[in-house]
Amino acid sequence: MNISRRSLILSAGSALAAAALMGCGEGGGSGRPAASGSGSAPAAGAPAVELQIFAANSLERALPEVQRLYTAQFDTTFADTQFKASGDLVEQLRAGAAADLLITASAGTMDTAVDAALVDGGSRTDMFANDLVIVRAQGSGLELAGIEDVADVDGRIAIGDARTVPAGKYANQALASVGLYTGSAGDDGEYAASIAGKVALADKVGTAAKYVSTGDCAVGFVYSSDIYRYDGIEEALVCPEDSHKPIIYPGAVTAGSAHAEEAARFLDFCLTDPKAQKVWSRYGFEITA
Amino acid sequence: MGAGRRRWRMAAWTGLPVLFAVLAVLVPLLAGALGTAPAAWAGETARAGQRGAILAARAPQAAPAPAAPFALSGFDRSAKGTARAVSGQPAGYRFPLADDATLALVRTPTSVLVWVDAEAATAAGFDPTDPDAADALKAQIAQLDADASLGGAKLADADVPWEFTTEPELVRGPYEYRFAVAGEDGTRYLTVLSAAAAPVDPSDGALWSDSARLVPASDTPPAEAPGALDRAASFLSSIDYRPLWVSVKTGAAALFISFSLGLLAAWRTCGTSGRLKGLLDSVFTIPMVLPPTVCGFLLLMLFGRSSALGRWLVEHGVSVVFSWPAAVIAAVVVSFPLVYRTALGAFEGLDPRMLDAARTLGWSERRIFWRIMLPLGWPSIAAGAVLAFARAMGEFGCTLFFAGNYAGVTQTIPIAIYFEWMGGNTSVALFWVVVVIAFSFAVVLAINLHSARAGAYRRGQAAGRRGRLGEGRACPDGACTGEVSGGDALRIDRAALRELLGPAPEAGAGREGGA
Repeated sequence: MNISRRSLILSAGSALAAAALMGCGEGGGSGRPAASGSGSAPAAGAPAVELQIFAANSLERALPEVQRLYTAQFDTTFADTQFKASGDLVEQLRAGAAADLLITASAGTMDTAVDAALVDGGSRTDMFANDLVIVRAQGSGLELAGIEDVADVDGRIAIGDARTVPAGKYANQALASVGLYTGSAGDDGEYAASIAGKVALADKVGTAAKYVSTGDCAVGFVYSSDIYRYDGIEEALVCPEDSHKPIIYPGAVTAGSAHAEEAARFLDFCLTDPKAQKVWSRYGFEITA
Repeated sequence: MGAGRRRWRMAAWTGLPVLFAVLAVLVPLLAGALGTAPAAWAGETARAGQRGAILAARAPQAAPAPAAPFALSGFDRSAKGTARAVSGQPAGYRFPLADDATLALVRTPTSVLVWVDAEAATAAGFDPTDPDAADALKAQIAQLDADASLGGAKLADADVPWEFTTEPELVRGPYEYRFAVAGEDGTRYLTVLSAAAAPVDPSDGALWSDSARLVPASDTPPAEAPGALDRAASFLSSIDYRPLWVSVKTGAAALFISFSLGLLAAWRTCGTSGRLKGLLDSVFTIPMVLPPTVCGFLLLMLFGRSSALGRWLVEHGVSVVFSWPAAVIAAVVVSFPLVYRTALGAFEGLDPRMLDAARTLGWSERRIFWRIMLPLGWPSIAAGAVLAFARAMGEFGCTLFFAGNYAGVTQTIPIAIYFEWMGGNTSVALFWVVVVIAFSFAVVLAINLHSARAGAYRRGQAAGRRGRLGEGRACPDGACTGEVSGGDALRIDRAALRELLGPAPEAGAGREGGA
């Protein structure tokens, strides 16, 4: 009896350990090839280029699909793309992170990168246009007739932190257009007293969308494209285009890129390939004219 | 082996309820993860934009049409078009159509315009002039559009007039709609152009567009819902397992480094005294009390390009930020104090007279460390090492700050949990949470079982039963408690002295003689 109990514990423990180790083996064995071989196999002999892209957080779902299309066509692979708030990406570049291509969600953040000589200003291209929308949790039935109605919403308001999140800056501009924020630039003022206590700042636009989808916030200011990448949120109101600066996603090859030519080619592919356009269309990104 | 076995039994009896309790928590979580959640995952998977290449699981989008003789397949929704001029592609504001689409619709600001390819309509038995058929098709389209809306506005939301046509071009208001314009490469689009005398922005003439193939109902077999097992399998195969490997790899490397450095630091600190010791102790311990983000910030300052030192390092080829070595350094910084503190505690708990005795016998400090201090302090050091490993595996703030979140490189499980959750992949985050809980439980259980076994023979010796390691019989009812380091010190003391002094009187004989 004693031995059987002891062996029971032992076998339970070793089973857990074995499971952990097996998982580890799988991770090492099958995980890595999945990353490098997600498209077609690299051409024999020619060393495939690997691009590192820093992209605005809102591109987190759409861009990987376009990258797979590109890999299938050209064998160029992609290191783990960083999807963060545009301001964070610029800071990360400044801190010395290596990247080939930077796509931000506002002209302002790209200006910062150009001014700091982090990207090649000559390669800068406006890629996408997006809309600012106010979202609500799916099925909440919340009705908004205008931006000013958010002041009467029962619950918190998710807004990106305007210092690093372009969507937050646009949101503040939209709020300023109805007198709920004091600075027209979007990052130079205070929230009006009627909403100041209700604002929940998010570290990236996806976090703001997440706050709404989990019910932590009643409404949130996000891009229309964010609706398509998060479950559980729906459009409550599209902010009028004149309520904020045009939402433009510029892309540029970084100054320190070792594969500048390939990065520029991928940038062009994103904008001109019909299959890529299909992906952008599905996720609500309008390629700029 | 009696006492040892009994301790095992005790460990078993105290451990089993805990095991069951944890299983009771884990099993529903796993069941939830593998059973109910796949519905949500199917949705997530259908978005097909996850990090892993999981495009395959996109559910066939076909609407069953029990009454109508026709059905739709390959339904696709374009939330946005583009007006960008690309050579070889049609002008205007264009929406890409689904492959081989024979039905395309555009939601204008005031209506819904549905174009059906005349041949496909005939083949599928759809008569655009028949109001009943139109209603049936409208219902199917509205359903598929709602399914594909992903939270965006739906056709069914607003009560606007629907118009069915087989004409490839229509002018409505200031806009001209062309339903299936092919580009040079064969890609087809629905385009919107300005038709008014005063040009308008075509993109204002369309909110979104849907397209699909109109087929006879008999051509679309009812979509089979995949079984729970299939869904679980497809979910598990869709997970990127690299965070586990990165975590284990980082934890192991960090443990190796912090274990070596921690022992060295503890040994050195133990040998010093007074103010210097206080200073060293503070320096070595402070990463444990600092918030990890502070460590991360300092490391980023130290190695990053934003400080003079960092730039100097980068210029000399030391570029570690946002790389795997950075993750290891971050993990070492936070796990080092755990090894250091436990080792220092163990060393300080040793009887200094014993060490002095060894010194009088001419042992070098190094030999004393290897032959006396390390073996005596081993139980504490081992526990500290396990804790340090767990801490290194669980490191989040410092790693994120200093090493970033690169899947397969620096993305450890804790970071994966945060980003998967934030990225909308709640089920993947839940999976990793379950893995971490299981792993942590295994570690803690292993420590408990080990210390229960290690404690058993000490109690056996403390009670005065003679015999070799593990053969002592004591605490038959398991009620007695022993003093851990005392018992251990006693054993090694005897062994070391016996070896050193030859036929010497057994140390601790007085205490043992009491039995």
